[in-house]
Formats: sequence, C-alpha cells, structure tokens
Amino acid sequence: MSKLISISNLNKSYGEKRVVSDVDFSVHEGQILGLVGPNGAGKTTCLQAILGLASYEGDIDVLGYNPKTEREKMLTEVAYIADVAVLPKWIKVNQALTYMAGIHPNFDRSKAEVFLAKTNIPLTSKVKTLSKGMVTQLHLALILAIDAKVLILDEPTLGLDILTRRQFYTHLLEDFYTENKCIIVTTHQIEEIEHILTDVAFIQDGKLVLTESTENIRERFKLVAVTEDKAEDAKSLNPLFANSLMGLTTMLFDNEPNEALQKFGKISTPSLADIFVGVMTKEAC
Amino acid sequence: MTTQWDADKPIYLQLYQQVLTRILDGYIKEGEALPSVRKVASQYQINPITISKAYQMLQDEHVVEKQRGKGLFVKLGAQNNMLERERESFLTQQWPQILQQIKRLKLSAEQLLLPQGEEKS
Repeated sequence: MSKLISISNLNKSYGEKRVVSDVDFSVHEGQILGLVGPNGAGKTTCLQAILGLASYEGDIDVLGYNPKTEREKMLTEVAYIADVAVLPKWIKVNQALTYMAGIHPNFDRSKAEVFLAKTNIPLTSKVKTLSKGMVTQLHLALILAIDAKVLILDEPTLGLDILTRRQFYTHLLEDFYTENKCIIVTTHQIEEIEHILTDVAFIQDGKLVLTESTENIRERFKLVAVTEDKAEDAKSLNPLFANSLMGLTTMLFDNEPNEALQKFGKISTPSLADIFVGVMTKEAC
Repeated sequence: MTTQWDADKPIYLQLYQQVLTRILDGYIKEGEALPSVRKVASQYQINPITISKAYQMLQDEHVVEKQRGKGLFVKLGAQNNMLERERESFLTQQWPQILQQIKRLKLSAEQLLLPQGEEKS
C-alpha cells in the first residue's frame, strides 16, 4: 500500500497559543482514518494545513505535492467537505454542476447527475430550498464526480438526523471508496462509524495521543469488570479509567496481557468511544 | 441495515461465520454469487478491508471462487464439504463440552429429546 499523505513535525500557533504540536502521521491507500478529539483539540487546523488552507511549520506531503506551494495542482486530486460547508444560497443545482465543470479539470458531470438521480434533489432547485441533508448530498455529488484520491471530511454529518447520516456513509462506501483511495474524517459520533474506520488518531490539546489501526486497538485495550475485593490489586496495574457502580468497577487497561487481567474479573472489548473517553480522561489528569 | 456485532470477536471472523451459516442453511446456493464487497460495506456500514478479509478466508478454504471480472461464487459441492467439516468440528469441539454439561446437570436422554417448548416434568 503506498503512502498518500505524510505529515511530520506539524506545528501551528495562533500568536502565543500553540494549537498543533509535533503532529506526525501518514495515511496509506485504502485507509479510512478517523481523527477524533474534543472541541478545540486541533482537528480542523490539521485538516486545513493538509489542504494548504492554513499556514504551518513542518512537512506535509499529499500525493507528492506540497500543499503550501502546489495547492492548485494538489486540489485536482483532493476533495474536501468543511464542517461549515456552504454552497451559495442562490445557486441552482445544475448551475453548481456547470460551475464545477468549468473550474475543475477532473469534474465528470455525468457522474454527479447519476448520483443526484438516486436522491430526491431536483436539478433545477436552488440551494436555499434544499434541506441540510440534501445540501450534504449535493456536496457529496460534487465530490464523487471529481474522483479524488484523497477525501477530507470535517464533521460531514454535523446536524443531520440519523437516517441522513447513515445514508451519507452508505453512499460514501458504495459510490466513492475504492482500495486505492483514502479518507480522513473527523466526527463526534464515533460510535456510528467505528466499524467503517480502518485507523484512528486521537488528538488532544494539539497533540496526537494515540494512533492505531482499529484492528490493533481492539487487541490493545481491554475492559475488566472487577469486584470490590480485587479492586485495589487491579488498580496497581494502572487502569486508564475506573468507574464504580453497584459493587463492580469497570476498568480500562492498555496493553496488559489477558492472563494478568482475567484473575480480576470478566474481560470484554471496549468500544472505540470507551477507549476515547479512557485515553482522554487519563491525559487530562 | 446494520448488524449488531459481538465486540469480543473480530468482525471479519463473524462475517466469515455468517456467510458459512448462510450457505449451510441454503440461503446462498451453490453457484450463486456473494454480494460485492462494496454492497456489504455500505449495507453493514463496515470498512471494505474487513469484508475483503472475510472473503479471502472463504476463498482460501475453497468455499467460494473468483470468476474474473464477475466476483465471488459459491463453489459446487461447497455445501457438502462444509457440512462434513462443520460436523467434524462440532463433534470434536462443541459436543464434548455439551456432553459434560449434560452429565453435570444429570439430564436424561428422555428429557433432552422432549420437543422444545413442551412442559418439562
């Protein structure tokens, strides 16, 4: 699998305040990376740096391009949906297609039309008459038609209802994704997409606190339901997180062998959301 | 539609098992095509690599075969071969445990053969 994006020593400050520090990661073909972190952790800033939309220190390589100096060429193969995705309210759907066809060398109008035909968006509607979900679908149509190798999604489903959110990811997997592309996505609804992701990166206060494939992460982290009499012993193994309820303490462990844990209680595999909460609270202590 | 996955087992194994069961139960017939990776990914909302992995296992075990450009098809004789294999694995792995439990609970053959749902005496 070849590397499509590599980032090393990424730093960014606004005045005195450092918002991204020493971020390193890379994304390969076929990967769907979830960039997960609390509000203000630096997710959007990282994405903007990758897209050349914000100045930064460090090295970023996207498909062999430098986002700072070769942004225009880079954008022929990179697509982006911003969390503040807005299309001009007065534009009609078919005008948006004509506009894209005019400015983007790889835009395939028929692809966008085929996709839109599957939705209930009329080509002659103005953007202001479309619902929020329809606008997201329209964005997706524009992006599918570019056939980008790299797709960056910043909270693409924010404010959408669950049906539309699911529909969005269905289309993404069915109509966009192939094994030679990659996707970076940020979202607060990780439980909804945890099985879609191949990799996750947790970010907090501008630093990456964990990057791992979703396959390995399930091996690494374990939840143990510990009974009260064993709680002290179990705590000596430094759980990331302990939560007591009705005489049982649920503890989250990182990288402890099952043999060491099973004497404390029943072991189960945490969800990505459990791990996220565990890692974030630990870093905050 | 999404399926509830068991968090303690890798999804590709569960998917693999699911396809095997579907073939054994006759829902997917010999000579029939498996749904494409893309289709399964979007319906179950899981990443396509997971599905490819399950499909690869099925290919490695000669349950399905690739037809160039057309996708994966259930092999002729797959159902019988699997039936053999699953019987073997049941008899050597699950059955001894069940037998042990039957002995522990002192269940008689009569009680065990009672039709399900019938009042137990």
